[in-house]
Amino acid sequence: MSGAKVKMREKKMRNQPLSVQYPSAAMDAGSSTQNGRGTSTTDRQGPAHHRGGWLRGHQRDRGGYAKEMPRHLTGGYFAKARAAEVSAMLKAVKKTTGSCHVFGALPKHMRRRSMSHNIKRLPHRLREVASRMREKSLQAGAKKKEQTKSKSRKARRRHGNLLLEFNRRQRKNKWLETHIWHAKRFHMVKKWGYCLGDRPTCKCYRPCYRAMSSHCLLQDLSYYCCIELQGEEDRLLASLSQLTSKETGPTFSAALCVSGRRQGSVVMYRAERYPSQALGPVSFLWRPRKQGSTHRQLWIWAHPTMKQELLSELQTVCQCFEAVVTPVVPVVLPPTKVVSTLELELKADETPEATQVPRAKRKRSCKDVAEPPAKKILGDGTRSPSTPISWKSSSTGIVINDLTMEIVRYRLIGPHSHSVLTETLDAATDCNEITKSHPSSLWWPEHCKDESKMTLHQQQTDIFHTLKGIYSSAELPSGTVLGLTVDDPRLTLPTKKVKALPCVKKAQEVDEEKRRELMLRGAPEDCCQSFLWEQSVRDNVTENKISEQELNRMRSEVLVPGTRLRPTPLQGRVPVLLVHQPGKQVGHEMSSWGAGWDLLLPKGWGMAFWVPLVYRGVRIGGLNMSLKHSQNKGAPHFPHDYPDCQAGVRFQEEQEAELLNKFKRRPPAKRTNYIKHGCLAPFRCPWQQLVEEWELITKEGREERKGDSQTPNVTGSDTITEEMTSPPDIGVTKPPSHFTVLRNQKSLRILSLWCRPSTSKGQRLCRVRDVAPLDSSAVTAFLSAHTMSLVWVRLSLLSKGKPELHGMICAPVVEDLKLLGKKVDIQGPQEPPHKNHVKSLIKRKKTGSKKAAPSSKTEGKGSDNATEPDPAAAAEGLKTSPESSTDATLGLWPDPLPSITSHCSRVTLGWVTQGDFSLSAGCGEALGFVSVAGLLHTLLSQPKEHRGVLLLRNPTSLHYRFVKINIEV
Amino acid sequence: MTEPRNPGISSLPLTVPVQTDSSSSAVEMDPVEYTLRKRLPRKLPKRRNDVYVNMKTDFRAQLARCQKLLDGGGHREICVHGLGLAINRAINIALQLQASSQGALQLAANTSTVELVDDLEPEDPDEAGEPMTRTRNNSAIHIKVFYPDPQ
Repeated sequence: MSGAKVKMREKKMRNQPLSVQYPSAAMDAGSSTQNGRGTSTTDRQGPAHHRGGWLRGHQRDRGGYAKEMPRHLTGGYFAKARAAEVSAMLKAVKKTTGSCHVFGALPKHMRRRSMSHNIKRLPHRLREVASRMREKSLQAGAKKKEQTKSKSRKARRRHGNLLLEFNRRQRKNKWLETHIWHAKRFHMVKKWGYCLGDRPTCKCYRPCYRAMSSHCLLQDLSYYCCIELQGEEDRLLASLSQLTSKETGPTFSAALCVSGRRQGSVVMYRAERYPSQALGPVSFLWRPRKQGSTHRQLWIWAHPTMKQELLSELQTVCQCFEAVVTPVVPVVLPPTKVVSTLELELKADETPEATQVPRAKRKRSCKDVAEPPAKKILGDGTRSPSTPISWKSSSTGIVINDLTMEIVRYRLIGPHSHSVLTETLDAATDCNEITKSHPSSLWWPEHCKDESKMTLHQQQTDIFHTLKGIYSSAELPSGTVLGLTVDDPRLTLPTKKVKALPCVKKAQEVDEEKRRELMLRGAPEDCCQSFLWEQSVRDNVTENKISEQELNRMRSEVLVPGTRLRPTPLQGRVPVLLVHQPGKQVGHEMSSWGAGWDLLLPKGWGMAFWVPLVYRGVRIGGLNMSLKHSQNKGAPHFPHDYPDCQAGVRFQEEQEAELLNKFKRRPPAKRTNYIKHGCLAPFRCPWQQLVEEWELITKEGREERKGDSQTPNVTGSDTITEEMTSPPDIGVTKPPSHFTVLRNQKSLRILSLWCRPSTSKGQRLCRVRDVAPLDSSAVTAFLSAHTMSLVWVRLSLLSKGKPELHGMICAPVVEDLKLLGKKVDIQGPQEPPHKNHVKSLIKRKKTGSKKAAPSSKTEGKGSDNATEPDPAAAAEGLKTSPESSTDATLGLWPDPLPSITSHCSRVTLGWVTQGDFSLSAGCGEALGFVSVAGLLHTLLSQPKEHRGVLLLRNPTSLHYRFVKINIEV
Repeated sequence: MTEPRNPGISSLPLTVPVQTDSSSSAVEMDPVEYTLRKRLPRKLPKRRNDVYVNMKTDFRAQLARCQKLLDGGGHREICVHGLGLAINRAINIALQLQASSQGALQLAANTSTVELVDDLEPEDPDEAGEPMTRTRNNSAIHIKVFYPDPQ
């Protein structure tokens, strides 16, 4: 009897009176006799043939019916025995089984849901019991609640307590400044040590896409980490050049970036390790030079997953190991240090002096004395104050500062993002003469005294106004930087949400010459300067922000309600940096799609800018949308599409675990059988194995060609032999070398030309420059440098179909291409369903283990024979057996995978890492990596007119689809 | 859109009106050193009855779109714009519209010159210094297709 059955029976028997037991069919005959005998001792004397009522049918081992029939029966005994049985039976019937709710006494068709809360719905006879039970449960519930709830809701929602609670909750995962705004509207995920909004709770996938392509989408990117480097320019460049390579494009030392006029981006590697051991992509921004100084400041913006590695690598190359211990000022700063009179007034409420207010606040003030009032966490809340955030080097003089969470970064994507900015932001107004004459602790009045600073501010303001005359953000040179000082945007908050649109009239007003200048060259160098670069100004601005409450009070005092506050309060000047983000730069279609602006703010001002931006009719996107953004741009997205980085590898592992869990949560019968679909690794991409196998194939191909000068053609017979031979070969011949991702611009350009079909339109493009035509010698030369490489490709489907994550990119055979030539109906070929060898193997193992245990022998021998695996599977089984015993899931290949490339009828070249229906292209589009060796091998064997046509198959389907490959530089 | 600069090549297809290298470049660049990146032509605010013609969309589709605007869209007039290579197609569309209306529609054509911006990015940015930007001109046509006033 199986465990579940036993349990069921036990449950059934729990409430039974001891003297009566039900015999069960599953129990063997011996126990049933026991049962019969144990029914009652009085029964012995009673007639045995009555027991036949308890036992059905012929009892074998008793050898027919009872041997000794009693001759007579005593009435008294008989009646007594029956009476006992009847009483036992009655007891059993009265007692409810299972849940001891009163409903159990009712037949199912008479139960109603409303009975559970309304006793009067119950039949009269049950009401009393029900009310008793209800009381009992209420008492229990009350007791439980008493334990968890400590304070009333009102107390919990009180500002100070709420802040304490919020601070407690963000100890583990950092909150962005817009966290509460997001948490109300987004599905939040805890990722990379932050709480981030993944996707909105409302249905707005398409509206968000439309916002990106025609209006503006806003994202909070403050979780990106900023690392500041300070030092002499040439020293900085010298040490940073170890981390990058010129082959991958412009580096830190690109002339335009060094001047501070453009933001640059670069892929970083571990020191001197190019092309292997990538760290990840970063964007960087130099502070414009000051006159006569070679001391420079550089901000490097990196994703949080790569921050630690990047930081340690930077410390190594800059030799910055001395941690600068900063005094722990920001945490225990008394609130009345640098505040204006206005702030003083406000803060007086919070400080302990407020105890003089007699009754209302007594309770709070008592607590205030005990501990300092809770302060809103600004910046990094998880870091302990003793952790060093700054390192300097005595030999090179370079200082590294970790500015994580110090600067808020918002990204606006879309052609109208600049008009959203010009609507929202107003250049800072000058302060009047009276305030100028007084010395002030605020930064802006001090700056107003300096003439040169004001002329610079005027220039920046002019350029900012010129921005209004531009129709689309894509018209500006990519990466343009503009520094600016703006008024507090809360002052100009519209009462209703309005959609910011570029204004035609304004466009005419703006000086045409200036507009041209901006479009051609971007902002001049001195206008890229911003006071956001200065720590002291940042702190001052953060410290002196007017609270929302105070602002509302001031608004309420305005003479005409709803008008703008005049004069602008002195604290409301914020230095910001505007950085242009280039849109799609690669490829021919949809160029500069998704261009926009980044807005950098000092910390603490996040919400003050967020709400006004939202009121300009932008859409808000989460992590999900940034993935879609990069997908439409055809660009790799950071942790997802960097398999050669540590962070990328980690991400893949997490993703695999997550997908596997999701898969296992489904009932086994409803799971996709990936083995039958011929999909070896549905949840991950074994890049290393792929690259190694392709290297082996090319090597073999070369030898073969040397032998009989015949191009290798992978056919069915070939695959079988390979399946048997390749995995052990790799282990023997290959010293472990890691795969790389090809980022060399020149090689990519060559590869991109080779991928195009050389007919009609392609012809014109192929003619460019003296690139060697695609032939075996050129390929060999190319491969000698990049055998172990993967290359980032974009695939667009020729027919219908939606590519999915981890879909297989395969090479078509000759017959497939013939199919394509007909053009009648380009349905791709089908993969024949695979046989599930692993299943029988697991089954056999199971039966084997059962045989070892003596309990069961019911498994049919015949079925075992029927699923006897064929010899090939047996061979595989031998290979896989030791591992599959640990954790074998039905429908998934156990761990040492057989040869990946030749597992299916078409040779695998790579996998998709992002795939979806692309709204911008109007067809399915996939992004992924393919092995360079595999790709070239395929291209060589393809006829010219079909060059660059591959097959794509989703892991859950057997249907191959034709795709066009694009390598974009 | 990174094609090495080569005066012989005509333009690549763009989403918005296609342009050709009509003006010969004043500065001859070394083809190896620079990458040419063409920016999109400057966009202007668009009314509902403006049709920008390009070379990528199917001709019949564009014609049908114009027809629909005139018939069902309730517009008495539409403007067909074409730039560079697409001038020919814009004229073609306008004439087809006129022909199919049995003379009810009238045309009024205007030509103009559009300034386009090219970015020249040095392939080795560290040594070559600044990337260059230059402007060139291209012709455009704007055809007003309208029903004449009844009087």
